[in-house]
Amino acid sequence: MHCLIFGYGYMGKIRYNVLRGHPAVRRITIVDPAVEASTTGLDGVLLPPGAPIPWSTCDAAFVCTPNNVTVDLCVEALGRCGRVFCEKPPGRNWEDFCRLVEAAARVPQATLVFGFNHRLHPSVQAARALLKDGKLGEVLYLKGTYGKSGGTQHRQSWRSNPAIAGGGILLDQGIHMLDLFHLFLGPLAVVDAVLADAFWGSGLEDNAFVLLRSARGVPAFLHSSATLWKHTFRFEVGCRDGYLIGSGLLSRTGSYGREQLVIGKRQFEDEALALGNPREEIIHFDRDESWDREVEEFLAAVLEGRPPTHGTLDDARAVMETIREIYALADRHKADATPAART
Amino acid sequence: MRTIQTQQTFSLSSVKPLEGLIAYRAFCVEATRRALQEGALRWTRSPISGSPLVPCGDVDGLAYGRCPDGGGLFLLERAAPKAWGRLLAHVSRHRHSPEAFHAGLAKSRTDHVYAPKLEWIEDALRLQDLHRPMVLEVVTPPSEFTGFLADSGSFADVLTVDETELATTAQGPRAQAAVLLESLDRAQDPVVLLGRVADQLTEGGLLFVTALVASGFDLAVLGIRNLYLYPPDRANCFSLSGLAALLRRAGFQLLELSTPGVLDVEIVQAHLRHDPTISLSSFERGLLEAPTEAQEGFQTFLQQQGLSSFARLVARKSSNV
Repeated sequence: MHCLIFGYGYMGKIRYNVLRGHPAVRRITIVDPAVEASTTGLDGVLLPPGAPIPWSTCDAAFVCTPNNVTVDLCVEALGRCGRVFCEKPPGRNWEDFCRLVEAAARVPQATLVFGFNHRLHPSVQAARALLKDGKLGEVLYLKGTYGKSGGTQHRQSWRSNPAIAGGGILLDQGIHMLDLFHLFLGPLAVVDAVLADAFWGSGLEDNAFVLLRSARGVPAFLHSSATLWKHTFRFEVGCRDGYLIGSGLLSRTGSYGREQLVIGKRQFEDEALALGNPREEIIHFDRDESWDREVEEFLAAVLEGRPPTHGTLDDARAVMETIREIYALADRHKADATPAART
Repeated sequence: MRTIQTQQTFSLSSVKPLEGLIAYRAFCVEATRRALQEGALRWTRSPISGSPLVPCGDVDGLAYGRCPDGGGLFLLERAAPKAWGRLLAHVSRHRHSPEAFHAGLAKSRTDHVYAPKLEWIEDALRLQDLHRPMVLEVVTPPSEFTGFLADSGSFADVLTVDETELATTAQGPRAQAAVLLESLDRAQDPVVLLGRVADQLTEGGLLFVTALVASGFDLAVLGIRNLYLYPPDRANCFSLSGLAALLRRAGFQLLELSTPGVLDVEIVQAHLRHDPTISLSSFERGLLEAPTEAQEGFQTFLQQQGLSSFARLVARKSSNV
């Protein structure tokens, strides 16, 4: 297979490293005019400036660019080769996403996958496996916190430019947690949302507090933040007979802490020494295969000519619909709070 | 690979009190001595690395050697396989008799030993997406755990096999899971036993092993003086790394390698109460005299770092075995 990678930033490098080790991939071409031709290790891989994009030999395209060009590239790649892996978010907004949907619909047998790798993190996979047969009883609630600190370059980053990013931390990072909420609970309705641009002042939300409800009435609460000075990834699934708490992420920097899953059983005082302190087991994970697995699944779907199993257009639609509703609700709240509205 | 830490808390006295153990231990040692009088085979090499075992002391006259590579402790003289099997059966009968301390702690051992082990196995089956497997329970009969496995509804069937017979007979694959609760600790030849178990597991089958490990805190501190080390039940006391190597060499891929023990500190304290002359470093004494919170924190650290003496492993039979 010949794979094109558009964009050689943080995600492009990850995809490149995974593709290099994939047995079906014979050739990789990186397309990124911002990368110096002399970059070590990219001889024969980086498309020279001015050279035409080798669409005629392309078997699959990976779009790892800033949000403002993602959809244009995906639409073109869908038309040219029909096999596209698109990093999240699936567009800056609902309109962008609809362009993707239309482009995919125009290509029979198109394979379009989105990078929702958190589904494949070991703590999430383990939580799903433990919930599968209902051993912990039905789910009562879900809570998720995902946040980072931004850092000194945050204000200068394209992520802080509304025209390029399209949304703030919710669209950039909270989207992963929303995807997990959908994974655990299915379709979600937005009950309420409070968004704030409290610290960075970029005109995009740096904090999002979102209350959701599943079709069965299970409540879920998300806090997505760009002002969590201690990087945090944590989800909590409360069940009738116990609970699961996933936290930490196996990442390159390790800044989210050791990835683990707490399995707790409900124990009242007739079973435990102290009420409210039940027996817990904590699984620590030492290997994140999520990047490899999602690329492997995408390429397998391409090679086998079958629909992908995750990161699908439906998965993307679910989160983008939710995000659209959240932003719309936040706008209404903002309008209601203006002096004119109050008078 | 995963490691598991547990927040379960219970006392030494509720599962294996030192005072109760001493009489049972004396029975076991005496039974071993008699078995060896009928004929002893000299064990000279580590079952892990093959290196010559280094004599490191004795348990009431029965010599142990240390593996110079991994640090595991191994009884240096053993009876022949059949005689060893009779020895294990003899002490097992005693363990299940009213004279042994185990009888008086049945309820407590159910709550703190067997129920958590069953939960561990069930959760691992879920994590590996293995639904209602046929399970091979490798024991010296009778086993208290058989009923737990059978009543759980988590298995299509429970095949309880005598570990000493298993070690001397060959049979093809017939189970998708195998449970060895401290069986390797007492096996006459753990390499042979593990090989036989592998033979009886289907490809991709899961192996559950628990063991007392010499790399754990109380055994590392007390060494051969640890009263929980005695034959035949603890003829083999692997290090954690040695146990992992043993499984890998037998064709298993490790999925979990944990030491979720909760009793290391308490075991050393109990030994010190039993024998105040035990020599300990000032650090160790300081730890044993520290406030409860500090000791609990230390025990948690041992669990997290694979340094407790109770080990749990889950492994999958590789396709090329």
